[in-house]
Amino acid sequence: MQTVFSKLAKNDYAKYPFLKDATKYVKTPNLKIEDLEDPSLEKILNRAEQRVKDAILYNTINKTPHFDEDIELMSFPIAIILAVATKNAYIQKRYALAEAKRATEDLKKEPKEKILKIAQNFEWKLDTTTSEKIPGEFSLKFTDYLRNITHLQTKEWKLVNHILLNGNIHLTKDETARLLQEEIRKHIEKRLEIKELPNFPPKIIETAEKIKKLAAEKIGKAEMEGFPEIISQSAFPPCINALYEAISKGRHLSHVGRFTLTSFLVNIGMSPDKVIELFKNFSDYNDRMTRYQVEHIAGERGSRTHYKPPKCTTLQTHGVCTNSDKRCKKIRNPLGYYKNKLESS
Amino acid sequence: MSKMPNLAEDFVKKMFLKYYSECFDQVCIPNLFKKREFGGLLSKERIMIRHRKIETAAELQEFLCSIIPSDVYFSSAYYEQPDAPEMNSKGWFGADLIFDVDADHLSTPCDKIHDDWICSKCGFAGKGISPEKCPVCNSEKFDVKTWPCELCVNAAKEEIIKLLEMLKSDFGFSDKEVHVFFSGHRGYHIHVEDDSIRTLDSVARKEIVDYVCGLGLTVAFGRSRYNDSDALNLLRTLRLSNYGWRGRIAQGVYNFISNAAREDYQNIGLKKNFVEAILANRNMILKNWREKGTLPLIKGVGVKNWSKIAEHCARVQSANVDTVVTTDIHRLIRLAGTLHGKTALKKMEFQPSEIEDFDPFKDAIAFKDGSTSVLVHSAPEFRLGDITFGPYKSEKVELPTAAALLLVCKNRAEVVSDGI
Repeated sequence: MQTVFSKLAKNDYAKYPFLKDATKYVKTPNLKIEDLEDPSLEKILNRAEQRVKDAILYNTINKTPHFDEDIELMSFPIAIILAVATKNAYIQKRYALAEAKRATEDLKKEPKEKILKIAQNFEWKLDTTTSEKIPGEFSLKFTDYLRNITHLQTKEWKLVNHILLNGNIHLTKDETARLLQEEIRKHIEKRLEIKELPNFPPKIIETAEKIKKLAAEKIGKAEMEGFPEIISQSAFPPCINALYEAISKGRHLSHVGRFTLTSFLVNIGMSPDKVIELFKNFSDYNDRMTRYQVEHIAGERGSRTHYKPPKCTTLQTHGVCTNSDKRCKKIRNPLGYYKNKLESS
Repeated sequence: MSKMPNLAEDFVKKMFLKYYSECFDQVCIPNLFKKREFGGLLSKERIMIRHRKIETAAELQEFLCSIIPSDVYFSSAYYEQPDAPEMNSKGWFGADLIFDVDADHLSTPCDKIHDDWICSKCGFAGKGISPEKCPVCNSEKFDVKTWPCELCVNAAKEEIIKLLEMLKSDFGFSDKEVHVFFSGHRGYHIHVEDDSIRTLDSVARKEIVDYVCGLGLTVAFGRSRYNDSDALNLLRTLRLSNYGWRGRIAQGVYNFISNAAREDYQNIGLKKNFVEAILANRNMILKNWREKGTLPLIKGVGVKNWSKIAEHCARVQSANVDTVVTTDIHRLIRLAGTLHGKTALKKMEFQPSEIEDFDPFKDAIAFKDGSTSVLVHSAPEFRLGDITFGPYKSEKVELPTAAALLLVCKNRAEVVSDGI
């Protein structure tokens, strides 16, 4: 392996400014938040603003015509501050994703050694494949793989459809870069989770407001909207319909089935009392126990967590998924089906 | 143990106490036990005592001897505060990877003919696997009296053997990290203890389950919308030397073609003329496959038929585990070396390499001395150690303690006079 020759240079950190050691190359590492008012930093602030705006407008970060290593390096942490200052979770998520996507495009063009270096930054156990018998250029410890496919729902990412040998998954370069995108996105999302917000200087607040306005125009409010008050059974997905029918007839439901149905119904706005009513058809019905469990799922008891129904893939694992139709291919969760069907009807 | 007569209950409790007092050295103290939750089931009250924290071995023994649980559990999870009463305040920081294979979920060669079921509504009773609906009153709830027969337990063992192979060659775990146990009843457990898997969430564990069950396996490996020509390309490149599931399927198809008779093909849905075409060319197919490396497709057998064979072989090669157990990161599992309330046999660890020789009905016997007189209502023929007992029907017999306990725990017998 040629890792010896592949030390990352300043140019690399400008391309991948989220890496741990990037701060070493920043000219003024001790910059304070109030310094951002300084006119000499205007170019950097402008680039930072562009980064977040690009995320909203194009879902990626476009390259600037005048690539300047220092500006790239410095504008990243400031873009983070801007995204935090919008106090809008949607903008923040979109920004993290755009940065990760942009990095992935670059990563795909990098030599193997550089990809190894960047993976090392995230403590991945990644290596190049030496055997000619096995397709793919990289091998990755399966646990690192599993931690990063949570949001990759298509069949080709399933562990079962990859070569897993002695604890390592065999991957092509593009697949490796795509997985790194997930890692980078999570890393940036974490950096955006600042619990105690500082006092932002006026210029930052002003810029953040501009970004929020842009987001409202571009994305609209639809994304954040919940469900209508009236429950329409005709929009239930097939799995829920099957469970609903079973419970109405007092037929036995598995634990996962009961949880799925209950969490689905309370999420679309059915009151816990009405849900409990359904369970009365069971021969082993116990009022106290059922009430406790339903109210727990609805987030009215115990940990106050508001539970969502399991994802479609989880329902497949536990045999709850049934009679899936065309619409099922478009969604990942029974709630998505309900929303989609309501919107299209 | 459900609704046991008092005399029987006392006998079981007395024997369990004797075991935990005299044979406590057989109870396995798990790694990092101070960070785990412990629990025990009180059979009579049907109450689960849980959220217990254990600091020393003596404390565990004290717990077992004072409460005398019918079943003893500990958490696969590690917690900052194992004794916190709410799951959210426990401070979860990891969990072992657990697999459970139980004959209850498997179709077995005995068809569970030894199990009794009785409709909880009208009392209609029968033998074998309970029907979906009671033939008399249409109710769907039954009380089932199961029986741990050797065929059932062996069916579970077959699944565990496949699972062990995958954990070793595919996931790369060594014998040091993989612990295999007989559950004490009708199944086997595997605990994987390793830093690398400890913090995996339930979504990641679901992927592991799907892998061992072969769920979501596209025979076209990666092509979500594969058409016949894709499938054809895949089949043409299916090599016996392939790795992972691809290799597993290749090997499976090879073995199937080597051994399958006419009806085996028909059972998986192949039409007669295709079957004849394959059978007529069997030796040629196998020879060419071995020598040329790739599966030689023959005229008259289309892609769809080959895919049927491949899918059947994938099913045969998958390990049928309880999906809920592995994905639950807060699971309570039976503590090794403790007694199973349904059998009075031990949950018992053995080396993965010894699985073929492990004899649950001998090696997991906890009580090796003494005898007891019992009145047996009904019991099929069964073996414990080297002795075969029964079948019994409404008769009084004097049995070795282990056999008497098994029947009493299974609600198949009553204690007549306390033999010890």
